[in-house]
Amino acid sequence: MFQKEREIITTTPYTDSFDFDEIEDFIKKASKNLFISHKFKKSNKILVQPRGGFPTYEKVFELYKEFAQAGVDVLPLTIDSNTRLNDYEMAKKMLALSEETDENMLNGYPLVNHGYRVTRKMVTHYDRPISLRHGTPDARLLIEVALASGIFEIEGGPITYLLPYSKNFPLDKAFLYWKYVEKVCAKYSTLNEPINRESFGPLSATLQPPAIVIVIQLLEMLLSLEEGVKSFSVSFSQTGSISQDIVSSNVIKKLARKYADLFGYSDANIHLVYHQWMGAFPRDKEFSDSLITTSTVIASLVKADKMITKTRDEAFGIPTKEVNASAVRNTQYTLGILKGLPNITDPEEEENLTQMVDDILEAVFNNPADTLWRKVFNSIKSGIIDIPFSPHIINNGEAITVRDKDYNIRFYKRGKIPISDKCLAFERSKIDLGGKSLVENIIKDIGIML
Amino acid sequence: MRVVTGVVGNDVHVVANRLIEISLKERGFEVFNLGVNTYLEEFIDAVIETDADILLISSLNGEAEGWSRDLLFLKNRFDLDNVLFAIGGNLSVGEADADDMIKKYQAYGYDLVFHQVDLNEGLDVIENTLKKSRSVS
Repeated sequence: MFQKEREIITTTPYTDSFDFDEIEDFIKKASKNLFISHKFKKSNKILVQPRGGFPTYEKVFELYKEFAQAGVDVLPLTIDSNTRLNDYEMAKKMLALSEETDENMLNGYPLVNHGYRVTRKMVTHYDRPISLRHGTPDARLLIEVALASGIFEIEGGPITYLLPYSKNFPLDKAFLYWKYVEKVCAKYSTLNEPINRESFGPLSATLQPPAIVIVIQLLEMLLSLEEGVKSFSVSFSQTGSISQDIVSSNVIKKLARKYADLFGYSDANIHLVYHQWMGAFPRDKEFSDSLITTSTVIASLVKADKMITKTRDEAFGIPTKEVNASAVRNTQYTLGILKGLPNITDPEEEENLTQMVDDILEAVFNNPADTLWRKVFNSIKSGIIDIPFSPHIINNGEAITVRDKDYNIRFYKRGKIPISDKCLAFERSKIDLGGKSLVENIIKDIGIML
Repeated sequence: MRVVTGVVGNDVHVVANRLIEISLKERGFEVFNLGVNTYLEEFIDAVIETDADILLISSLNGEAEGWSRDLLFLKNRFDLDNVLFAIGGNLSVGEADADDMIKKYQAYGYDLVFHQVDLNEGLDVIENTLKKSRSVS
């Protein structure tokens, strides 16, 4: 049944004709260096991965060359926005224009149109792990092409690639489309090293409360492990407070293991990914360099397994390959000199955050629906899970967060999120609006790095 | 007082939209927020459905100009004379003079036009306008 479905999905004039036997054979014999799951086991440093993708094969090939020279650990493949919306016809047209004119008519690599036979040449040439970065609610065809190409890390998930990006795409469909993704990743994981799945913790990257980020990370992890995935990365982005980042890291690591074991997936490997600042960047490039270096220091303090870099051109648009590679070089240098890092814990804050996460998860698990994805769906619909600043119509949008004086993100209003009165009181006791209106505070809190 | 609000066109600037919603609620309005990516027809439908007193459209990327050309037609088709029509944000794609923009958008059928005006100042003007119209009627 499932194989039939895969054949239907992959039979399209927009990509190569699929030879599943050949693909399985390729994955079986693929170099271990292509698997980030393998690299996580072998490496004792934080892996560095930038973002990046161009429309044409040649430009991505050149980008990878630049990254390789800068000492990159994990290469990115960022997909264009037409492909993300499954508009392969438009992607095809824009790719043809990009090839003719040498202008970039797409904001990423239209992987489906290029196909796996061509892309695989580039992947095996560089012999490094590649991470698929997209934002696609229906990524079924895209991940088939990616895995057949030798791209063995797939980012995203039904919640994290939908609620921050879309207004109308049906959430229940997203859960089912991602179930397909998990199943294919699980199936290929038995052939060689495991395929790694990564969730997207930054969400809408605007004052996201760590409790909600962690809840969503853990739920996407469980939905993935449930289908047989054996290697999974949870992630979050720099909050603005060093202490809140460390607290978040300590709690997410502890709870990811706890819930994976509790659900019977103790054989799964869980990793932590840290995103350098995902909010608005300063327009002064020296300030951006400083911000990136600061992010790298924090990634070390939180003991991430991988970090994803930004560039000094963030405020201006898509960076050139040189600028992008120099951020990688800078980050690798900084990581190399960060020695003697302290072990920091904050029991009171960790207890408060753990309590909030446990309470929300308990409410999700207690939903009477028959499957986990339906429990999660119902919980989002009823506002038990609520993301500040999501454009999606299903998101409740009632919870409000602001920063305290140390820039920790705190719940000001919980909406229907089931955190206890005690936890809410703790959160609110830290807030001081300083005589200004709530909205004035929020505007200031969003722009802290400008 | 009922307000329908949202961002017009293929514009996904959710942060400003949410700040408008929070500010309106803080001022005691009953808010129907249609969110980002909203078409003009959807705004009009919502105004009729909710019997709103105010329609507050926002635009961050300047798309509003293209979308506003049908406003007078839609206003005349339904009887919406008692509804206050307001628009704010970045009302042009490039640089533009605020007075020119106000004239242009008033001609499209808006009662109040805010081009790059501070959110709270804009909402103060809306509240004062409503107070005046109430005291007259």
